[in-house]
Amino acid sequence: MGAFFDQYLPTWLAYTLAGLIHVGLIINLVAVGALIFIWLERKISGRIQDRLGPTRVGGKFGWLQTLADGMKLLTKEDLMPEGADGFLFRIAPYVSFGASITAFIAIPFAGGDYPWIAQRVNTGVFFVIAVLGLEVFGVILAGYSSASKWSLFGAMREAAQVVSYEVPLGMCAVVPVLLAGSMDLVVIGDQQAGWFTNWFIFNDPATFITFWVYFTCATASVNRAPFDLAEAESELVAGFHTEYSGLRWSFFFMAEYGSMFSVSILASILFLGGWHGPIPIASLLHVDGTYFGNLLGCLNVLFKGTLGVAIMMWVRWTLPRLRIDQVMATCLKYCTPIAAVMFLGAALWQYALPGRNFFGLSRAPAAVYNVSEGWSAGANAAIEKSAPVETVNAESPTPVAVVLTQSNRGG
Amino acid sequence: MNQIYWPSVFFLIFGALACGFAVAVLLTANIVRMAFYLVLSLAATAGLFFLAGQDFVGAMQLLIYVGGTLVLLIFGVMLTSQERFVSMKTMAGDWLIGLGAGAALLFLLVIAATSVPNWRGRDAAEVQQMQVEKTAAPIAMGLLGARVDQINEPAQANIVRSGYLLHFEIVSIHLLVVLIGAAYLARAKRKPASVPTT
Amino acid sequence: MATVDDPRTIEFDVRTDEMLVNMGPQHPSTHGVLRLVLRTDGEVVSEITPHIGYLHRCAEKIGENLTPRQWIPYTDRMDYLAAMNMNLGWALTVEKLLKYGPPEKGRHLRVIISELGRIASHLVGMGAYGLDLGTFSPFLYAFREREKILDLFEEACGARLTYSYLTVGGATADLPPGWLQKCEAFLDELEPIVDEYHALLTTNAIFIKRTAGIGVMPQEMAIDFGTSGPVLRGSGVDHDLRRDGEETYTAMYDGYAFEVIVQKNGHYPKDHDYPAVPTEAVLGDCWHRFYVRMLELVQSIDLVRQAIDRYSRSEGSYGEPMKLNQKLPKGEVYLETEAPRGQMGFYIVSNGEAIPWRVRARSSSFCNLSVAPELCRSCLIADVPAIVGSLDIVMGEIDR
Repeated sequence: MGAFFDQYLPTWLAYTLAGLIHVGLIINLVAVGALIFIWLERKISGRIQDRLGPTRVGGKFGWLQTLADGMKLLTKEDLMPEGADGFLFRIAPYVSFGASITAFIAIPFAGGDYPWIAQRVNTGVFFVIAVLGLEVFGVILAGYSSASKWSLFGAMREAAQVVSYEVPLGMCAVVPVLLAGSMDLVVIGDQQAGWFTNWFIFNDPATFITFWVYFTCATASVNRAPFDLAEAESELVAGFHTEYSGLRWSFFFMAEYGSMFSVSILASILFLGGWHGPIPIASLLHVDGTYFGNLLGCLNVLFKGTLGVAIMMWVRWTLPRLRIDQVMATCLKYCTPIAAVMFLGAALWQYALPGRNFFGLSRAPAAVYNVSEGWSAGANAAIEKSAPVETVNAESPTPVAVVLTQSNRGG
Repeated sequence: MNQIYWPSVFFLIFGALACGFAVAVLLTANIVRMAFYLVLSLAATAGLFFLAGQDFVGAMQLLIYVGGTLVLLIFGVMLTSQERFVSMKTMAGDWLIGLGAGAALLFLLVIAATSVPNWRGRDAAEVQQMQVEKTAAPIAMGLLGARVDQINEPAQANIVRSGYLLHFEIVSIHLLVVLIGAAYLARAKRKPASVPTT
Repeated sequence: MATVDDPRTIEFDVRTDEMLVNMGPQHPSTHGVLRLVLRTDGEVVSEITPHIGYLHRCAEKIGENLTPRQWIPYTDRMDYLAAMNMNLGWALTVEKLLKYGPPEKGRHLRVIISELGRIASHLVGMGAYGLDLGTFSPFLYAFREREKILDLFEEACGARLTYSYLTVGGATADLPPGWLQKCEAFLDELEPIVDEYHALLTTNAIFIKRTAGIGVMPQEMAIDFGTSGPVLRGSGVDHDLRRDGEETYTAMYDGYAFEVIVQKNGHYPKDHDYPAVPTEAVLGDCWHRFYVRMLELVQSIDLVRQAIDRYSRSEGSYGEPMKLNQKLPKGEVYLETEAPRGQMGFYIVSNGEAIPWRVRARSSSFCNLSVAPELCRSCLIADVPAIVGSLDIVMGEIDR
């Protein structure tokens, strides 16, 4: 977008403008998203519990309920406990919220040659996971600075939980990276172009299991039930945000919904084809790559993300909460080993059945992107040159060669 | 001056942030605030990496250093939960030793940075000519033990093999030692006095 | 100074400080205004101390200034989740002193009402236990059905929480016409829904993980601490005042077919219809206490059906309430009844006036709560609501 503005405006203005537009869009995505998700959560929980949920504010379905809630929160007194560490107490919600929206910078909403993404990061998966892990800072600061023992308990629980769950979460995210041969989310998404058979979740049994492990870990890492120990209301009153009120409290909530949305979108890009629907409508209509095609893809991503969030809500309103030791056991005894084995499984499957997907039933399409990185053309040449030497030495192939064959899957 | 070179501006901003928060770490007495400033300083450093086009290193910085500080924070909270906002006072002697060590380190870094010919300042035009390869693969391969960026230099075949694997391993062992040391410091022998006897 | 040779010395334990934390009196999961002081070491609770008295309203002292019928509304406010059973306990105690009781029809009416009260109370117990464990939906499912019972009660006596319906000598009014049909329709509706509750909680893997083997109370401990009701039977003690109580009370259930819900030889009565006991569960743990309540709920449905049948077949009056200022005979009397939460006892000393000289109440929740410090020894913080919730206490009854 910056390049586009650059044609008409002075450079500094063009890029500033582009940056502001991107940031504005992302903040609005999180804020409006939270608005919709809170309404959705009320509706879903209502329906699950044999209630109607909000029905009055804003017409038929109470769709302005969240706005009314927001107004209420705005007018509430901004309380701070007497013994609190004022500076950290005030800044903590913004740290959480900031981390939550920063993750969206690297998340693409449509792919192709001109992906809809604020800043295309070469290591998108890694970046998003790293940034999402920062959200816990706000929680710990809030818990520590609140001068409340319940808050401190909540913060320590959150810290232990998030730090542990990052391990299996990362391992699960690496599996699609392995299949796509890139950490770039745009590339990962576009590798799954076409019908749903190309989705990574259906690539092989290992990825299928990985998806569910990922979703479990994602639920845990964004601190949602049954892993919502940091704010376990029946044990810790409200956990880390016990002492918060008004707008600061709502920032924590927006951060929570923001990260729910981002892990769901990440799941949809890593495993569920991202902007490539179950049916490739855009390419059937011959609009892929155009603005309209990207719009369809964007809607597709948002829909999948919302679906993931809705499933998290469904789980929340159905299951009891686990205990802290059980949460840790789930992570260390189940999720981490399963993720590790599935990573190996996916790698071996690729080795056994190269160029096939959908549980090995169909042939993988030719990759949209040539995954080979810039350096690898030269590297390939170098290896070919040195190949006779290698074979004469009868040594096992160099690490370079192994990784190259993998990353050239289907290419 | 016809045009501002924007990357330099951002470099200055991020650098100033990193240094500023590093000074704040020194000047704060509260251990949790200290950790918080350290996080901000390290995050600004990550910003420098992103600015240099090294997304991988930047994300690594966020995940490892900033995440590592998180653990520091947890320890801080854990060990000081009884007397909240514990103040850490630095003795004048400690200041002196710290200044001495810091100055020595800085001196070493400056010497090292200026002695490598490749690292000497280039002018803006030359930098803009450079193609920053936006990929993490060379670093990752380097960590695995293969310098793919030098793969076309058959004369240096050894470099292709060695990469950064040894350095990587040394650093990781070092981190492991630090981790065990931290755990050892935090632990103490004691009686289970908490179990009440009635 | 501890040495390493000391076997109790934990070498390399994380050096953390103990904290005293107040859980309550304003806390989401202490069932009212109970205050628990937790001594915690990290997540591990080493000791809990219950503090009670935040809801003390001098109910017993007031009872010494009112006639027995005037005091009935105060019994409503004891166990406000099973007010009908409180009314019944007091009415029976006064009847024991007066040595008269309701006629046959009134007896069956009392069974209908008190067993419906037990269902309503156990529904809250179940839903609130779900809340304690962090799931909100069963609470609303439970209240959906409880509301229907309250509708029935409202139709019978005009109140939804504090009924003052069952009174000395019978009830304040007969059941309105058409009430029995509505009640039967409700029971038919409720019975299949119980399976839903079992699916949501009893057999839920997380629920079992949170409750099975937690807060195990051996039989001896249950008896030593004077626990009663589902808490006692959850530990495998075969004791139910509806069967084992005094004649004045058991006469009410004369001719009714029911079994005491208690595990015998590893089986609950009629447990083939209901989920099997999970392998992790130990007799006397939170899961068993919960399960006993769920089975009692089903049994009460059966009892209400029997009572409706008998009530509709019996003739005559439902009873003659005692006069408001009737003189009480000299003497003292104590009677315990099986309220939903256990043995609810009332004690009257009369010196021949219309107003009793002394009135005391024995609360089941009070004794049940007294086990909590024992059960919560070195458990996790999350287990405290699970254990206290499984005791199903009502502070109105404890503090009176």
